Order: sequence, then structure tokens, then C-alpha cells
Amino acid sequence: MKHRKQRRTLEGQENTLGWVFSAPALFAILIIVLIPLLRSFAQSFQQLDLARPAGNGWIGLGNYFALLKDQRFLNSLWITVRFSLISVLLELLLGLSIALLLNNNFKGRGFVRGLMILPWAMPSIVNAAMWKWIFNADYGALNAFLTQVGLMSAYKVWLSDPFWANALLIMANVWKEAPFTAIMLLAALQTIPTHLYEAGRVDGANGWQRFSRITLPLLMPVMLMVSTLQLIWGFQTFELITVITGGGPFSSTEMVALRVYATTFRSLSFGYGSAMAYLVFLVILIPVIFYTRESYKRIIDY
Amino acid sequence: MTKRPLIGKILLYTAVLALVFWTIAPYLWLVISSLSFKIDLVTVPLKWIPTRLTFENFKGLFFDNGEVTFNTGLFIKALINSTIISLSTMLISLPIGILASYAATRIKFKGNRLVLLAGLMAQMVPPIILVIPLYVILRYFDLLDKHLGLILVDVSICLPLIIWLMRGYFSSIPADLEDAARIDGASRLMALVRIVLPLAGPGLVSVMIFAFISSWNEYLFAFVFTNAAAKTLPVLIGEFSTKLGLEYLKIAAAGVLASLPPVLLALIFQRHIISGLTSGSVK
Amino acid sequence: MRKIFAIVFCFVLVLSACAVPAATPAPAEPTKAVEQPAQPAAGGSITVIFPKHEADIKGAYEARIRQFEKESGITVNLIQSDWDSVANRVTPELATKGSAYDVVEFDNGWIAQWCGAGWTQPLDEYLPVDYSKGMIPGLVNLFSCPDGKVHGVVWNNDTRFFYYNAAKLEQAGFAQPPATWDELVSQSKEAIGKGVIKFGMAPSWNQEWSLGNEFHFWTYVFGGNLVDDKGCVVLDKDPNTLKAVQFMMDVLKDGTADPAGLTYNQAASQDIFLKGDSLFLPQGIAGLFSYVKDPAISKVQDQIKTGLVPATASGTSAALTLPEAYAIPIGSKNKEAAAKFIVYMTSKETNKYLAEQIGVLPIWTDLFSDPDLTGLYPYWKDFQAQLSTARGLSKITWYSDFVDLTNAELHKALAGGQTAQEALDNMAKQLAKFNCVP
Repeated sequence: MKHRKQRRTLEGQENTLGWVFSAPALFAILIIVLIPLLRSFAQSFQQLDLARPAGNGWIGLGNYFALLKDQRFLNSLWITVRFSLISVLLELLLGLSIALLLNNNFKGRGFVRGLMILPWAMPSIVNAAMWKWIFNADYGALNAFLTQVGLMSAYKVWLSDPFWANALLIMANVWKEAPFTAIMLLAALQTIPTHLYEAGRVDGANGWQRFSRITLPLLMPVMLMVSTLQLIWGFQTFELITVITGGGPFSSTEMVALRVYATTFRSLSFGYGSAMAYLVFLVILIPVIFYTRESYKRIIDY
Repeated sequence: MTKRPLIGKILLYTAVLALVFWTIAPYLWLVISSLSFKIDLVTVPLKWIPTRLTFENFKGLFFDNGEVTFNTGLFIKALINSTIISLSTMLISLPIGILASYAATRIKFKGNRLVLLAGLMAQMVPPIILVIPLYVILRYFDLLDKHLGLILVDVSICLPLIIWLMRGYFSSIPADLEDAARIDGASRLMALVRIVLPLAGPGLVSVMIFAFISSWNEYLFAFVFTNAAAKTLPVLIGEFSTKLGLEYLKIAAAGVLASLPPVLLALIFQRHIISGLTSGSVK
Repeated sequence: MRKIFAIVFCFVLVLSACAVPAATPAPAEPTKAVEQPAQPAAGGSITVIFPKHEADIKGAYEARIRQFEKESGITVNLIQSDWDSVANRVTPELATKGSAYDVVEFDNGWIAQWCGAGWTQPLDEYLPVDYSKGMIPGLVNLFSCPDGKVHGVVWNNDTRFFYYNAAKLEQAGFAQPPATWDELVSQSKEAIGKGVIKFGMAPSWNQEWSLGNEFHFWTYVFGGNLVDDKGCVVLDKDPNTLKAVQFMMDVLKDGTADPAGLTYNQAASQDIFLKGDSLFLPQGIAGLFSYVKDPAISKVQDQIKTGLVPATASGTSAALTLPEAYAIPIGSKNKEAAAKFIVYMTSKETNKYLAEQIGVLPIWTDLFSDPDLTGLYPYWKDFQAQLSTARGLSKITWYSDFVDLTNAELHKALAGGQTAQEALDNMAKQLAKFNCVP
């Protein structure tokens, strides 16, 4: 009898403690974010054209239905998904390679590790302006480099070709974001106890087997977390695209964030723009929910 | 560490050099651009090492031409604003985030999932849609163009990241140590502060740096919520353009300077980042 | 570890302490006391936001504003940044009927939109009677709303002009600039063939806001129309508009225009002209000559002249004007003071001062024949001939949507992805929901 009562109060205590610890964070996050989220969500069910206020009012799911037929929006959604997925994949590959590299001992290791931060430390507007300058067709550094090194015979207009415009934008994005992955993975690498590798070597496993059977599985949790975060960030990419291509050539690099901006800040259609934003939210939610389920399972398994 | 054969060493150093080149080259080009005349930069064929240098672009940041006094000191002011806001964000969000993260990881309570997902939800919406409602809220509390206003916003953006990252480090520390301490009579809080944090200490440092950088580089909300008084560095840099387009050289000069503080911070603490992220592994 | 935290924490405390006074909304006070506002807020204070004039390297506008402060006793919190930043800053404030600004930038592309949203104050009650008598008439009437009242007063007469590299043109064997577009094309081909120049022109046709400007310009110079006065879409039925788009596509293909122009903004086009790689600059800013003379950015110091925008075979030239005005937001709490500011900064005296200092194009008709100014800027007589042909952007509440939708289709055509007629038809289809909406 007493036992059960004790356990219940202990659980009750734990519960309260948990809430007490989390309260400040929840407060900060929810107060700053919840009200704007709710307001803009409410707006997505209205027609809210500030320039033509006569027609404004509640229209239920009207905006959402219109969006599902909006070719330009669907196109931008596809471009965004493609951009984010490829970026995340490359950031993972590059980040992993860099982390594996830096895991070794060599002279100047500390310096190089600190240096890795540089692309990530650059303000994104500077990053965007810099790459725009580099990609310039008539006098940019990329063209200069490729021709001087002999890989190309004449200057190329990179940004007017949809394929290259997308590829170069992804490259600029990966350049900036890969250091984050690298540093996170490097840390995780260094937590793997070395005796596991020795045991593997004793068992006759070669380098590749050691990597795929020991390293990779142990890195998986961190890789998943970092990739999820970068997927979310990839979806919100705005300045990079606006500055370098403005969404061109003919909307082939137009990402969702640009559409939301144009719809709300330029055309002053806040109802439609809000609906756009929440559709995007739904799209990102799927992988995120998938990830949190996975990672939650893992924690329980420990 | 087993001894490497010579060929292995050569490959290693080549790879390192390639890495350094990949990371540094664009930034180097930025530095060179900031020290050049525009007419030289647009000349073809391009000369990588300019024949003549100029400090005009940097001078233009600190002293504008002629009698104008408006822009003098704007760059320094933005630098100070950014520093205040980033440091404050870092120092405020860290304790709050640690508490919440610890609770979500270690303590079994009903709000577990909520804490983890709450902040992440906000990051999944295109932030531009939150701008105007948030603008109204901040204006109501008279927090527009004040450091505190942007700090609050940055903290709430940072917190989910901190919670997720610290969770990774906390979960790699075995619970036995804490349990031992609690059996000895310590409260949860004391266990956190005395046992867990020191072990996760260096992991703490890396999260600290990420908090700083994310606030330092934040553009959208800083742009909308600051004006003359609390303008941060990215916002100021974003204004270096005319009706016709970006003033690339001025942006380059400012960008060269603006990238340095986070890097310096990282260089100072890099020992801790890596060794810290590693000593999550208490064996 | 703890020591570092402690030091950093103290540092932040100290900085915050210093920052507290700075955290109150203060104007960006100049640190070098050149023209300090000596009066306390005897006449009140206003907040003014507008972009920096493209020729204002000296800070002449600010100097003039400080003069205004001295003479009127009104303190001015001045916010000057780039055009995009100003646009993005004022939108949240105006959309929520705020009172943070007393004088705002009012761009010609926003007129109908802002009128529809009711964001600006009609100025008739605040401006002196006959105030605008003597201003260029087209500019005065432009900033009026369907209610018939004037909502903005022009401060920047941003009309664009035709520039050409006379030296290189002569080298190619032509003494006179082209009078028609066909001539321009043949002159370019000849010059490129002789190796004198790289391109006839480097257009700024990146898919961004300014492409809308370009669409209007080329349509106008070919005598076409995009949208009629009632807001009905006519671009797909107008044969001249078709000719214009076809011309744009052709010059990209036949080498007259730099194909990289598809990725260039106006600044890049200007850079190429200033380094001597293009022969013509059909839409140069009025203050281009001050850039031409600067050796840090220009290689063509003595080579540039200005002429009339070439005409089509039918003979009429046209130019695009993109003026900007001052307006008072409806939520402002200092409308009288704001109006005083506007009157002062757009007065003939101020206009002449600014013209002398940095070469801004006048808003007042007489100033074009003012001896002091024509002495400084002899090329203005060339501009005057062009000014009478200047037209502005389409005045519709859905202008932003117009630019958004037409840009995509136009860019596709220019890149060779569809024919000119297809582009125009697609534009009309997508604009259907706005058709004949004012």
C-alpha cells in the first residue's frame, strides 16, 4: 500500500520537476512563436489582399485548393525539395569525408579545425553576394579560373542554364553548410572507443569493413539529426537564391521561400501567402516526424 | 596510432590541402576583392593578384566621403550591436536550453515530446510569414529597434537547436553516475550541475559557439525588428546596394570583417569543441 | 572554463550597460559635428525613411535635411538605406497602420497598390495652394489616387536616357548615333565585326523586379501597350508589343546583345558599359556622367555621349521614367511637420542645390534652362528633348503580380523556351483574374 503511494508521488515529483525544468524554454518558445503561428494560420483561411480590401473575408480552404492547382507554387515546391535533398546528401558526404580526414593526426590539425568554421561564419548575405560575383558571366572568378586552368575554352553563361544555375546554387549552399555537418560528425567520431577498431583489426576486418560495420552504425544517430536540421534549413533558403538568380532562369531556381515573399510582401496577398507557408510546413513535417519517431525509439532502446 | 607508410602520409596531406583550398579559396577571393578597384576586378583576363591595392572600400565603411557624417561609425555601431545581441542570446539561451534538454532526455514526464517538438515546429514554417504578427507583438511591448526585442526573438530561435544538440551529448553520458549521486541524496538539479555538465562541458562549448553564430548571422528578423538604433551587422551589410544592384566591393570589405569574430571565437575554443564533443564518452 | 565564462559574462554586462542608453530608439546621430541640429524639439520630431539617391555619394540630401532642421526647428530621424530595404521596412509598418514613420518613400511602382490599401494621406490639405505649379506636369499627376487627390510629391526624377560610346562608334566608322533600332543593330554588328567592341549592348534582363521596367521600356519604344487605362490586359493583342518582345529575343540571338544579359542586373549592365565592352546603354541613369569620370570604376572617361532613344520606323522615341515621391502614412502623428519637410525638400531651392551638388535631374521645368546648372551639365539639353516622351509604369493595384507573372514568361521567351506570341498569350492567361481590375 505504502509502496504504491510512494511510487506515485515519486512519479508525480518527476513529472513536476520535468515541467519546472522545461518551463522557461517552453515559455520563451511558445510566447514568441505560438501567437504569430496562430495568427498567420488563421489568415490562411481568409482572402486578405491589402491592395484590394473590398474582397477580403473568410474563405475556408479556398486558398489551399487554389494552391494545389497553382503550377508555379507546385513547381517551386519541387525545386525546393530537390534543392534540399541534394544539398543534404552532399553536405553529409562532404561533411563525413572532412570529419574522417580531420580525425587523423597531422600538423596544424587544430588550426584547420578552427578554419573549418569560416564558410559557416560568413553572413549569408555576404555569401550570396560573393558567389554572385564569382558566377558572373563576363568577368567572374569561376569563368576566369576554368579558362586559365584550361578546363574550358570560352566563358560560359552559367546562370542562364537551368541545370547549371541549380547546380551552382547547390554548390554555394553546400560550401556554406558543410562545416556544420563536419564538426558534428567529427565530434561523434571521436567518441567511438578505439578498442572497437582494434578488436575489428584483430578479427581480420579490413578498412572498409571497419568503417561500415563499426563507424557508420555508431555515427547514424548524429547523421540523422544533423541531416534533419539541414533539411529544414534548406527549405527556408531565401537570400542565396534571391541575390544570385532572383529565381531565374525563367523560375527554374525559384524556391518556395521566394514565392511566399513575393506573394506577401510584394503582392500584399497575405491570405494566399499564409496558406502557402503552411502547406510547406506540412511537407517538411513528414520527414521530421519520421525522424523524431526513429530517434525516440533509439533513446528508449538505450 | 599505427605508423603510416609514406604514401599514406602524402595522400593525407594532399587531402588536407585540398580541403583547406576548398574552404578558403572563396574567402580569399573576397579579401582580394575588398582590396581592389572595381575596374580591375571586371577586367578580363582576370589577374588573381591585383597589381594595385586600395583601402578605399574599407575606408568607406568607417568614414564616408565628403562632409557626410551620417554613416560614420555606423559599421562600428552595428558591430557592437551584433556582439551584444549574440553574446546575450548565447548566455541566456544556454541555461534555459540545458534545463529543458536535460528534462526531455532524462526525466520521464508527460511533456517530453512537447519540449522536443515545440521549437522545431516554428522552424519549419517559412519565417517570412511570422514577421508581421511578430512585428505587431514587439511593437505593442515597445521592443522594436531595441536590443532586448531581437534578443528575445533570437533566443526562441536558438532554443530548439540547443535542446536537440545537448540531448545528443546528455544521452551519451551513462545514467549510472547520476543515479549514484542521487542515491547519495543529491537532487536532480545538483546531479545536473555537479556531474552531467562537467562531463558534457566541452560539448557545451560547441553548442555555445553555434548559438553565437546563429544569432550573429541571423538576417530576416534582425532586419525587420531593428532600425537605426539596434541594427546588426548582417542588416547593415544588406543595405550596401543602390537602386541598380549590390555594391559588391563594400559588401566584400564588410564581409571580410564580419566573418572574423565567430572564427576567432572558434579558434580560441576549438580545442574544447572537439575534445569536448568527445568527452561525452565517459568510459 | 569557469574563468572564461565569468569574463565573458562581465563583458556582456558592461556592454549591456553601455547599450541601455543606445537601446532607446535614437536617431543615428552623426559623430562628426558638421551640421548638428542645434534646436531642441521646438517644432517636434519626425521620422523619415527613403532610399539614398543613386548619385548621392556626397551625402548632399542629408546635409540639406540638417539645414531644414535648423530652419524649421523640427528634428528629423533620418533612415536612408537601399531601395529594397526601404520597401521591406515600410511594408510591415504600413500594413499594420503603424505610426513609426512620418514621411515615407513612395515609389511609382506602388502607387495604385498603396492607394487601394489606403496607406497614404491625401496631401491637398497640407500642401500650399498651387504648390506644384512649375513642376514637370507628368510628375505631379502621377502620384494621385483614384480619389482624385495627390498622395505623393516627387523627389527623384529618375528618368533614364540613351548613352553611347562615341569614340568606339567613330572607330567603327559611324559619326552619328543610331536613329532607329534597325540602325542600332547594324551599327553593332559592324562594330563587333571590326573587333572594335564586344557587344552592342549588355541588357539587364535578370528575372527580378527591374525586368518589369525593361518590359515596359521596350514595349513603349516600339509603340506598344501592356495594360490600358481601365486595367485591361492588351499586351497579347498589340502587334507592337509583339514586335518589342521579338526584338528583345532577336538581339540576344544575333549577337547584338550580350547573352549573359539574361543574368544581369542594372548594375552589371552599367559596369560593362563603363569598362568599354558595350556600345550602347539604352537606359542609363541621369547621373551616369559622374560615374563615367571615376577612374576606379570606368575606363571610358571621354568616350561617352548621350542621344535620343532610337525610334521604330514609325518615328516616335520613348523613354521610361521611374520617379519616387514622398508620402505621409495615414498613421503618422506629425502630419503638419511631415508636410513642411516635404515642401522644403521638393522646393525649387532645394532642387537647385541638389542639382548643383550631385547632378540630380530637376523636378522643376525652369531649372532645365537655369544658366548655373546648364553650365555644369551641358548635356541636359539632350535630356530635355527626351523628357517629353517619358512614360511611367502601368498604374494598377496588381502591379506586383503583373511583374511577378510577366517576368517568368518573358524570361522564358528570352531564353529561347517559347516564342514571343506564346509568352504574351501565357501572360494574358495568367493575368486573367486581374483583367480589367483597376
